[in-house]
Amino acid sequence: MTDAAPRPAAGDKLPELAISITRKKIIMGATSSRDWQPIHHDGEWARERAGLPDIIMNNYTQAGWLSQYLTRWGGPQARIARMRFSMRSPLCPGDEALLCGEVDSVTAIGDFDWVEISLSIKVGERVATTASARLALPGAEQQSSPWALSGDAWRP
Amino acid sequence: MTSLPEKVRNWIGTPVVTLAPVMTVDQGLWLNFCVAVEDGNPLYWSRAGDTEGSEPIAPPAMLPSWMIDHEWSPEPDHVPLRTLEMHFMLKDELDLPFGVVTAVDLEFHEPVRAGDRLRAEQILLEVGDEYQTRMGPGRRWSIAVHYYHQNDTLAGIQTLHFVSYRKEEQQS
Repeated sequence: MTDAAPRPAAGDKLPELAISITRKKIIMGATSSRDWQPIHHDGEWARERAGLPDIIMNNYTQAGWLSQYLTRWGGPQARIARMRFSMRSPLCPGDEALLCGEVDSVTAIGDFDWVEISLSIKVGERVATTASARLALPGAEQQSSPWALSGDAWRP
Repeated sequence: MTSLPEKVRNWIGTPVVTLAPVMTVDQGLWLNFCVAVEDGNPLYWSRAGDTEGSEPIAPPAMLPSWMIDHEWSPEPDHVPLRTLEMHFMLKDELDLPFGVVTAVDLEFHEPVRAGDRLRAEQILLEVGDEYQTRMGPGRRWSIAVHYYHQNDTLAGIQTLHFVSYRKEEQQS
Protein backbone atom coordinates (compact mmCIF):
# COMPACT_ATOMS: atom_id res chain seq x y z
CA MET A 1 0.00 0.00 0.00
CA THR A 2 1.41 3.42 -0.90
CA ASP A 3 0.54 6.96 0.16
CA ALA A 4 -1.85 7.16 -2.80
CA ALA A 5 -3.59 3.89 -1.99
CA PRO A 6 -7.10 3.96 -0.54
CA ARG A 7 -7.38 3.50 3.20
CA PRO A 8 -8.16 -0.02 4.36
CA ALA A 9 -11.72 -1.05 5.13
CA ALA A 10 -13.32 -4.06 6.73
CA GLY A 11 -13.69 -6.81 4.18
CA ASP A 12 -10.61 -5.85 2.17
CA LYS A 13 -8.65 -8.89 1.08
CA LEU A 14 -4.87 -8.85 1.15
CA PRO A 15 -3.23 -10.05 -2.08
CA GLU A 16 -2.36 -13.73 -1.71
CA LEU A 17 1.28 -14.70 -1.37
CA ALA A 18 2.49 -18.08 -2.63
CA ILE A 19 5.55 -19.70 -1.02
CA SER A 20 7.20 -22.87 -2.26
CA ILE A 21 8.47 -24.36 0.98
CA THR A 22 11.84 -25.99 0.54
CA ARG A 23 14.18 -27.76 2.93
CA LYS A 24 16.55 -24.82 2.49
CA LYS A 25 13.88 -22.26 3.44
CA ILE A 26 12.96 -24.17 6.60
CA ILE A 27 16.57 -24.59 7.70
CA MET A 28 17.47 -20.98 6.86
CA GLY A 29 14.53 -19.80 8.96
CA ALA A 30 15.38 -22.03 11.90
CA THR A 31 19.09 -21.22 11.99
CA SER A 32 18.67 -17.47 11.46
CA SER A 33 16.13 -17.38 14.28
CA ARG A 34 18.67 -19.32 16.37
CA ASP A 35 16.39 -22.33 16.84
CA TRP A 36 18.49 -25.49 16.99
CA GLN A 37 15.74 -28.01 17.65
CA PRO A 38 16.38 -31.05 15.41
CA ILE A 39 12.81 -31.17 14.09
CA HIS A 40 13.72 -28.08 12.07
CA HIS A 41 16.88 -29.41 10.38
CA ASP A 42 17.21 -33.18 10.81
CA GLY A 43 14.74 -35.12 8.66
CA GLU A 44 15.60 -38.52 10.11
CA TRP A 45 15.17 -37.23 13.66
CA ALA A 46 11.88 -35.53 12.73
CA ARG A 47 10.48 -38.72 11.17
CA GLU A 48 11.79 -41.37 13.53
CA ARG A 49 11.88 -39.58 16.87
CA ALA A 50 9.07 -37.05 16.60
CA GLY A 51 6.76 -38.96 14.26
CA LEU A 52 6.57 -36.05 11.83
CA PRO A 53 6.44 -36.40 8.04
CA ASP A 54 9.71 -34.44 7.68
CA ILE A 55 11.39 -31.35 9.13
CA ILE A 56 8.86 -28.62 9.89
CA MET A 57 8.94 -24.82 9.71
CA ASN A 58 9.49 -23.37 13.20
CA ASN A 59 7.13 -20.89 14.80
CA TYR A 60 9.61 -17.98 14.59
CA THR A 61 9.88 -18.41 10.82
CA GLN A 62 6.12 -18.59 10.47
CA ALA A 63 5.88 -15.35 12.45
CA GLY A 64 8.47 -13.87 10.08
CA TRP A 65 6.52 -14.83 6.97
CA LEU A 66 3.27 -13.49 8.45
CA SER A 67 5.03 -10.28 9.43
CA GLN A 68 6.50 -9.70 5.96
CA TYR A 69 3.09 -10.50 4.44
CA LEU A 70 1.45 -7.83 6.60
CA THR A 71 4.03 -5.12 6.00
CA ARG A 72 4.29 -5.94 2.28
CA TRP A 73 0.60 -4.98 2.20
CA GLY A 74 0.64 -2.17 4.75
CA GLY A 75 3.99 -0.65 3.79
CA PRO A 76 7.10 -0.21 5.92
CA GLN A 77 5.41 2.32 8.19
CA ALA A 78 2.87 -0.33 9.19
CA ARG A 79 3.74 -1.29 12.74
CA ILE A 80 2.61 -4.65 14.01
CA ALA A 81 1.28 -4.41 17.53
CA ARG A 82 0.13 -7.94 18.15
CA MET A 83 0.03 -11.26 16.39
CA ARG A 84 -1.52 -14.57 17.38
CA PHE A 85 -1.15 -17.77 15.44
CA SER A 86 -2.16 -21.38 15.86
CA MET A 87 -0.21 -24.07 14.08
CA ARG A 88 -2.77 -26.70 13.14
CA SER A 89 -0.64 -28.86 10.86
CA PRO A 90 3.06 -28.72 9.94
CA LEU A 91 4.67 -26.95 7.01
CA CYS A 92 7.17 -29.32 5.39
CA PRO A 93 9.51 -29.36 2.38
CA GLY A 94 7.52 -29.64 -0.83
CA ASP A 95 4.47 -27.83 0.48
CA GLU A 96 3.08 -25.11 -1.76
CA ALA A 97 1.80 -22.64 0.82
CA LEU A 98 -0.56 -19.75 0.24
CA LEU A 99 -0.82 -16.81 2.66
CA CYS A 100 -4.24 -15.14 2.74
CA GLY A 101 -5.62 -12.28 4.78
CA GLU A 102 -8.72 -10.17 5.26
CA VAL A 103 -9.29 -6.94 7.14
CA ASP A 104 -11.75 -7.47 9.99
CA SER A 105 -11.99 -3.90 11.26
CA VAL A 106 -10.38 -0.48 11.07
CA THR A 107 -10.50 1.99 13.94
CA ALA A 108 -9.17 5.52 13.55
CA ILE A 109 -7.49 6.78 16.73
CA GLY A 110 -5.68 10.08 16.50
CA ASP A 111 -3.45 10.14 13.44
CA PHE A 112 -3.52 6.39 12.96
CA ASP A 113 -5.68 3.57 11.68
CA TRP A 114 -5.63 0.49 13.89
CA VAL A 115 -6.36 -2.52 11.71
CA GLU A 116 -7.41 -6.02 12.78
CA ILE A 117 -6.66 -8.72 10.22
CA SER A 118 -7.40 -12.44 9.99
CA LEU A 119 -4.75 -14.55 8.30
CA SER A 120 -4.15 -18.11 7.23
CA ILE A 121 -1.47 -20.26 5.68
CA LYS A 122 -2.98 -22.99 3.51
CA VAL A 123 -1.51 -25.90 1.60
CA GLY A 124 -4.15 -26.81 -0.95
CA GLU A 125 -7.31 -27.35 1.06
CA ARG A 126 -5.36 -27.98 4.25
CA VAL A 127 -5.17 -25.09 6.72
CA ALA A 128 -1.70 -25.23 8.25
CA THR A 129 -1.87 -22.07 10.35
CA THR A 130 -4.53 -19.59 11.35
CA ALA A 131 -3.58 -16.18 12.68
CA SER A 132 -4.79 -12.75 13.61
CA ALA A 133 -2.91 -9.49 13.83
CA ARG A 134 -3.37 -5.91 14.95
CA LEU A 135 -1.31 -3.23 13.30
CA ALA A 136 -1.18 0.53 13.18
CA LEU A 137 -1.02 2.40 9.88
CA PRO A 138 -0.53 6.08 9.14
CA GLY A 139 -4.02 7.62 9.04
CA ALA A 140 -5.71 9.84 6.49
CA GLU A 141 -3.15 12.63 6.74
CA GLN A 142 -0.26 10.20 6.20
CA GLN A 143 2.04 12.51 8.14
CA SER A 144 2.84 10.56 11.25
CA SER A 145 4.48 7.17 11.58
CA PRO A 146 3.14 4.69 14.11
CA TRP A 147 6.77 3.92 14.87
CA ALA A 148 6.87 7.24 16.73
CA LEU A 149 4.23 6.04 19.20
CA SER A 150 5.33 5.07 22.69
CA GLY A 151 4.01 4.88 26.22
CA ASP A 152 0.24 5.00 26.59
CA ALA A 153 -0.20 6.03 22.94
CA TRP A 154 1.02 2.63 21.80
CA ARG A 155 -1.85 0.19 22.25
CA PRO A 156 -0.92 -3.36 21.31
CA MET B 1 -9.26 -34.17 37.69
CA THR B 2 -5.72 -34.40 39.05
CA SER B 3 -4.60 -31.81 41.54
CA LEU B 4 -1.58 -29.69 40.87
CA PRO B 5 1.49 -30.19 43.08
CA GLU B 6 2.00 -27.29 45.49
CA LYS B 7 5.41 -26.60 43.99
CA VAL B 8 3.80 -25.96 40.60
CA ARG B 9 0.95 -23.93 42.09
CA ASN B 10 3.55 -21.65 43.64
CA TRP B 11 5.13 -21.02 40.26
CA ILE B 12 1.96 -19.52 38.78
CA GLY B 13 2.03 -15.76 38.26
CA THR B 14 5.61 -15.06 39.29
CA PRO B 15 8.80 -14.80 37.22
CA VAL B 16 10.35 -18.11 38.25
CA VAL B 17 12.93 -18.07 35.46
CA THR B 18 14.89 -14.88 34.78
CA LEU B 19 17.40 -14.69 31.97
CA ALA B 20 20.34 -12.31 31.73
CA PRO B 21 21.39 -11.06 28.28
CA VAL B 22 23.00 -13.77 26.18
CA MET B 23 24.08 -11.64 23.22
CA THR B 24 24.14 -8.18 21.67
CA VAL B 25 21.53 -7.53 18.96
CA ASP B 26 23.25 -7.25 15.60
CA GLN B 27 21.95 -6.22 12.17
CA GLY B 28 24.06 -8.81 10.36
CA LEU B 29 22.28 -11.55 12.30
CA TRP B 30 18.80 -10.19 11.71
CA LEU B 31 19.41 -9.72 7.97
CA ASN B 32 19.96 -13.49 7.72
CA PHE B 33 16.41 -13.85 9.05
CA CYS B 34 15.11 -11.27 6.56
CA VAL B 35 16.70 -13.28 3.76
CA ALA B 36 15.08 -16.48 5.06
CA VAL B 37 11.60 -14.96 4.96
CA GLU B 38 12.27 -12.72 1.94
CA ASP B 39 11.45 -9.56 3.87
CA GLY B 40 12.73 -6.41 2.17
CA ASN B 41 11.29 -3.94 4.68
CA PRO B 42 13.66 -0.92 4.52
CA LEU B 43 13.31 -0.39 8.27
CA TYR B 44 15.33 -3.58 8.73
CA TRP B 45 17.74 -3.11 5.80
CA SER B 46 18.72 0.56 6.09
CA ARG B 47 22.23 1.20 7.31
CA ALA B 48 22.85 2.85 10.66
CA GLY B 49 23.28 6.58 10.09
CA ASP B 50 21.52 6.60 6.70
CA THR B 51 18.64 8.64 8.08
CA GLU B 52 19.19 10.90 11.05
CA GLY B 53 17.09 9.90 14.02
CA SER B 54 15.96 6.69 12.38
CA GLU B 55 18.21 3.75 13.16
CA PRO B 56 17.32 0.38 11.61
CA ILE B 57 15.20 -1.92 13.74
CA ALA B 58 15.28 -5.66 14.16
CA PRO B 59 12.33 -7.64 12.73
CA PRO B 60 9.84 -7.85 15.60
CA ALA B 61 9.21 -11.54 14.87
CA MET B 62 12.80 -12.21 15.95
CA LEU B 63 12.24 -10.90 19.47
CA PRO B 64 12.53 -14.32 21.20
CA SER B 65 15.63 -15.22 19.18
CA TRP B 66 17.76 -12.71 21.04
CA MET B 67 17.33 -14.69 24.25
CA ILE B 68 18.29 -18.12 22.90
CA ASP B 69 21.57 -19.13 24.45
CA HIS B 70 24.63 -19.88 22.36
CA GLU B 71 24.83 -23.54 21.43
CA TRP B 72 28.57 -23.50 22.04
CA SER B 73 30.86 -21.27 24.07
CA PRO B 74 34.62 -20.98 24.53
CA GLU B 75 33.94 -21.43 28.23
CA PRO B 76 34.61 -25.14 28.83
CA ASP B 77 31.94 -25.43 31.52
CA HIS B 78 29.23 -23.71 29.49
CA VAL B 79 25.96 -25.64 29.40
CA PRO B 80 23.44 -23.95 27.07
CA LEU B 81 20.25 -22.84 28.78
CA ARG B 82 17.16 -24.62 27.53
CA THR B 83 15.18 -22.24 25.32
CA LEU B 84 12.08 -22.19 27.48
CA GLU B 85 13.27 -23.45 30.85
CA MET B 86 9.88 -22.94 32.55
CA HIS B 87 8.29 -25.37 30.08
CA PHE B 88 10.93 -28.02 30.74
CA MET B 89 10.57 -27.56 34.50
CA LEU B 90 6.84 -28.22 34.16
CA LYS B 91 7.34 -31.26 31.95
CA ASP B 92 9.73 -32.71 34.51
CA GLU B 93 7.60 -31.88 37.53
CA LEU B 94 4.35 -33.22 36.03
CA ASP B 95 5.92 -36.23 34.31
CA LEU B 96 4.67 -35.13 30.90
CA PRO B 97 7.75 -35.50 28.70
CA PHE B 98 6.26 -34.55 25.33
CA GLY B 99 5.04 -31.04 24.59
CA VAL B 100 3.81 -29.21 21.52
CA VAL B 101 3.12 -25.52 21.00
CA THR B 102 -0.49 -25.03 19.96
CA ALA B 103 -0.62 -21.24 19.72
CA VAL B 104 1.67 -18.25 20.07
CA ASP B 105 0.79 -14.67 21.01
CA LEU B 106 3.30 -11.92 20.29
CA GLU B 107 2.85 -8.40 21.59
CA PHE B 108 5.40 -5.81 20.49
CA HIS B 109 6.39 -2.70 22.43
CA GLU B 110 9.64 -0.69 22.28
CA PRO B 111 11.49 -1.68 19.06
CA VAL B 112 14.76 -3.60 19.25
CA ARG B 113 17.83 -2.07 17.62
CA ALA B 114 21.44 -3.00 17.03
CA GLY B 115 23.46 -2.85 20.23
CA ASP B 116 20.53 -3.71 22.50
CA ARG B 117 21.02 -6.36 25.13
CA LEU B 118 17.69 -7.87 26.20
CA ARG B 119 16.81 -9.77 29.33
CA ALA B 120 13.74 -11.91 29.91
CA GLU B 121 11.40 -13.28 32.55
CA GLN B 122 9.37 -16.46 32.13
CA ILE B 123 6.04 -16.54 33.94
CA LEU B 124 3.72 -19.53 34.21
CA LEU B 125 0.21 -18.19 33.59
CA GLU B 126 -1.97 -21.26 34.04
CA VAL B 127 -2.00 -25.04 34.11
CA GLY B 128 -5.12 -26.95 33.15
CA ASP B 129 -6.49 -30.12 34.67
CA GLU B 130 -5.13 -33.43 33.47
CA TYR B 131 -7.16 -34.93 30.65
CA GLN B 132 -6.85 -37.71 28.11
CA THR B 133 -5.13 -36.54 24.92
CA ARG B 134 -4.96 -38.73 21.81
CA MET B 135 -1.47 -39.82 22.88
CA GLY B 136 -2.09 -40.31 26.60
CA PRO B 137 -2.66 -38.27 29.76
CA GLY B 138 -1.81 -34.62 29.33
CA ARG B 139 -2.35 -31.05 30.40
CA ARG B 140 -2.51 -27.64 28.77
CA TRP B 141 -0.46 -24.75 30.07
CA SER B 142 0.52 -21.23 29.08
CA ILE B 143 3.79 -19.41 29.69
CA ALA B 144 4.46 -15.70 29.12
CA VAL B 145 7.94 -14.43 28.39
CA HIS B 146 8.49 -10.73 29.04
CA TYR B 147 11.43 -9.21 27.17
CA TYR B 148 13.05 -6.06 28.53
CA HIS B 149 15.59 -3.60 27.17
CA GLN B 150 18.72 -2.72 29.11
CA ASN B 151 16.89 0.36 30.46
CA ASP B 152 14.02 -1.88 31.66
CA THR B 153 11.47 -0.69 29.07
CA LEU B 154 9.31 -3.51 27.78
CA ALA B 155 10.32 -4.79 24.33
CA GLY B 156 7.51 -7.30 24.03
CA ILE B 157 5.64 -10.26 25.43
CA GLN B 158 5.51 -13.73 23.94
CA THR B 159 2.85 -16.07 25.28
CA LEU B 160 3.10 -19.73 24.36
CA HIS B 161 0.26 -22.20 24.75
CA PHE B 162 1.22 -25.86 25.07
CA VAL B 163 -0.25 -29.30 25.28
CA SER B 164 2.07 -31.73 27.02
CA TYR B 165 1.49 -35.44 27.50
CA ARG B 166 3.02 -38.79 28.31
CA LYS B 167 2.53 -41.75 26.02
CA GLU B 168 0.34 -44.47 27.49
CA GLU B 169 3.15 -47.02 27.72
CA GLN B 170 5.33 -44.48 29.55
CA GLN B 171 2.96 -43.89 32.46
CA SER B 172 4.83 -44.24 35.71
